[in-house]
Amino acid sequence: MAETNNQELTFTSSDGKNMKVPRDVAERSLLIKNMLEDLGDATEAIPIPNVSENVLTKVLEWCTHHRNDPPTTGDEDDSRRKTTDIEEWDQKFMQVDQEMLFEIILAANYLDIKPLLDIGCKTVANMIKGKSPEEIRKTFNIQNDFTPEEEDQIRRENEWAEE
Amino acid sequence: MTPRDAHVAPTNRRRPSLSFRRPRTATVSAIPTTPRPGLEYNNLWDDLSLVDSGDAMDEPVLEDVNHFPEPAHRRRAAKSFSNLRHPVEGLRALGRRLSVTMRNKSSRAFNVPHQLDHKLGTYNANGSHEFASSASTLQGFSIPLPIPGNGVEPPVLPDGMYSGAAARAAAAAQNEMVRKMEYMKLNMNNQDSESGIGIDLQDRSELSDLEPDFVRLDPTAFFPTEIIGQVLSYLEPESLMNCELVSRDWREQASSKHVWRHVFRRCYAQQRSADFRPQKHLAAGLGKSVFQQDWKKLYLVRRALDQRWQDGKAAAIYLQGHTDSVYCVQFDEDKIITGSRDRTIRVWDAHYPWPCRKIIGPPPGDVANSGPVHDPEQQSSGKSPFLTIRPPPTRTAEIVDLGARPHDYHSASILCLQFDDEIMVTGSSDYSCIVWDIKDDYRPIHRLEGHTAGVLDVCFDDRYIVSCSKDHAICVWDRRTGALVKKLLGHRGPVNAVQLRGDLIVSASGDGIAKLWNVSSGLCVKEFTSKDRGLACVEFSDDARTVLTGGNDQTIYQFDANTGELVKEIEGHSGLVRSLHLDTANQRIVSGSYDMSVKVFDSQSGELSIDFPGWTTSWMLSVKSDYRRIVATSQDSRAVIMDFGYGIDGIDLLEG
Repeated sequence: MAETNNQELTFTSSDGKNMKVPRDVAERSLLIKNMLEDLGDATEAIPIPNVSENVLTKVLEWCTHHRNDPPTTGDEDDSRRKTTDIEEWDQKFMQVDQEMLFEIILAANYLDIKPLLDIGCKTVANMIKGKSPEEIRKTFNIQNDFTPEEEDQIRRENEWAEE
Repeated sequence: MTPRDAHVAPTNRRRPSLSFRRPRTATVSAIPTTPRPGLEYNNLWDDLSLVDSGDAMDEPVLEDVNHFPEPAHRRRAAKSFSNLRHPVEGLRALGRRLSVTMRNKSSRAFNVPHQLDHKLGTYNANGSHEFASSASTLQGFSIPLPIPGNGVEPPVLPDGMYSGAAARAAAAAQNEMVRKMEYMKLNMNNQDSESGIGIDLQDRSELSDLEPDFVRLDPTAFFPTEIIGQVLSYLEPESLMNCELVSRDWREQASSKHVWRHVFRRCYAQQRSADFRPQKHLAAGLGKSVFQQDWKKLYLVRRALDQRWQDGKAAAIYLQGHTDSVYCVQFDEDKIITGSRDRTIRVWDAHYPWPCRKIIGPPPGDVANSGPVHDPEQQSSGKSPFLTIRPPPTRTAEIVDLGARPHDYHSASILCLQFDDEIMVTGSSDYSCIVWDIKDDYRPIHRLEGHTAGVLDVCFDDRYIVSCSKDHAICVWDRRTGALVKKLLGHRGPVNAVQLRGDLIVSASGDGIAKLWNVSSGLCVKEFTSKDRGLACVEFSDDARTVLTGGNDQTIYQFDANTGELVKEIEGHSGLVRSLHLDTANQRIVSGSYDMSVKVFDSQSGELSIDFPGWTTSWMLSVKSDYRRIVATSQDSRAVIMDFGYGIDGIDLLEG
């Protein structure tokens, strides 16, 4: 068992780079884990067609740090979404530019690494929290495409109180 | 404009930024001198240094040819993987990139000043080196520190952003990077960063041109819906409503029922602890989990309701029919059950027009008058009902089921009651308790006999029924068989109130002492004493950590159940505190007193939040509350629903 865990796999990123990955690190990805279970031992390089090397490097850095975490259990959808707290190492890990952050989230989604996806989404949520609509637009460079009437309408709807 | 390119605001910068991504791959993977994949912001300088090279023209072609078939869920991110995909094309392009980047790198020190010299002044190779090293130190910084007075327009951060900085560190860091970059650029021509000279010489309007260096992407254009949904479901309602105002795409995502369900439930359901099953079966006001539930509407309704509680604004609905003091009450969203000195138990409909559905006990005569009239002008302080409703008493002839035999009834006052989904237990001055089958039209199951005086309070859980009496004793009964399991002796006065949580019983006595008992051992494990006089009521928090007592001291005492320590004394009443109710989820302590008032205190701070004096004309004997209302019973033979939700459009949506 321990032997198979230490087995080295090779990933090929979307930009054609090969990377050596210890099996237990790779299995943080449920996509990979399930694939390995289906295929048995992977002797050839595993193509990761959706993730470029620099993003994959970051994702594997996370997987390496969290290689000993207990496996995520089932779909505790509600409890996973309970808090936006992020542990310190993960906070530092997420201190990357917006583009990298978004790519990590997409990669975590594609590779099915739920805890990493959660952290990524929480990080984006924390970028939104407590901001006015205009501040959110600035943060993500978004054009306001509402007419003033539409904006008023939404405001009225949200300010609805009983009197 | 594709989402990818959206960050390129000034048109004159369009071309360089198109190739912005290009050197990144090269920087990371192909240049051995910069082996830090995390150091993405180096590329800001590649961007800056790109002076309209001819290569930039080739780039879009390369990007457009190389799309791998996208998996279905990635459809919105068509532009997001613009890196090389095709091996052969990729290799060629890599070679091209490598050379471009090398060129950029070697020429950077010269190109940058060439482009920016009117802003940055003297910039030399030395300065370039200086920057590279300080940029790499950025990698390790964690908590964003505000940089005072550098004269640069702050990128996006509002002032308030720094509160709770730890949780937002990652987000803030992105903004902070921009700041630091600006800061370094400004100090580039001035190695002595202490002096700050030169900063004020910068033209702010010119500097603002630099901001788009930082890539900003619209998440709604970048991510598939389920990821946006997950991001948004971490928000609290006010932030989510702000998202609806950002743009049309954002509005669509932020009004999703799925997202609102998470947000609403996290907002209101989080304090329910899974460790201890709440004993009181309180309605939570969280609505039904049905497919087409409008969770946002639910939130708006709940917000309006909470505002009513804050304002102390409630309607009074009087339940009239009892012919003497109403000693006890419990209710759920369907019914309200009261017990009275008139020896009857009444079951009322909890909805308009609040008819009495059933009378259990000897058939009473009809109530002729409609009870004393509330006179708001007599009140000197506190809140009156904003609306008073007095439904006419239901005619007795329409209610009473005369089939039941008199020996099934209590032969004296009903002093206490509790019900759940299966049974109701009542305690009476006739020294006994009766267990009723609530599912079988309140059929009496058995009578619990063992006390030698009136049964003053009763409570039960899955295993035990606990009753306490004027005879100074507490009896523990088996819920299923009705057999007496244990008698707890120790109080030196009548035991007025009792509560049960798990293996712990807390009881309050007229001798001024509350006791904590262990059910299994039958031993008293702790005592909580009032400062002066007898205790009338006791409350036990759901987590069994807090004990509240009230009594003749006119004070509510809060004790730590573990240490026995007196934590708080809550003052406010000017008469005996007769009844207490703790709503943990909403942090409310509700109290009813012989001063004729019902008051609500914040359970965290102990502050008085609502004062309803004199809504009935006599002593308040029992109070209970849920998310929406307080039901209080009075010595003047009435029960009153203090309904905070009355008339709120959609209030019924909150029912579970």
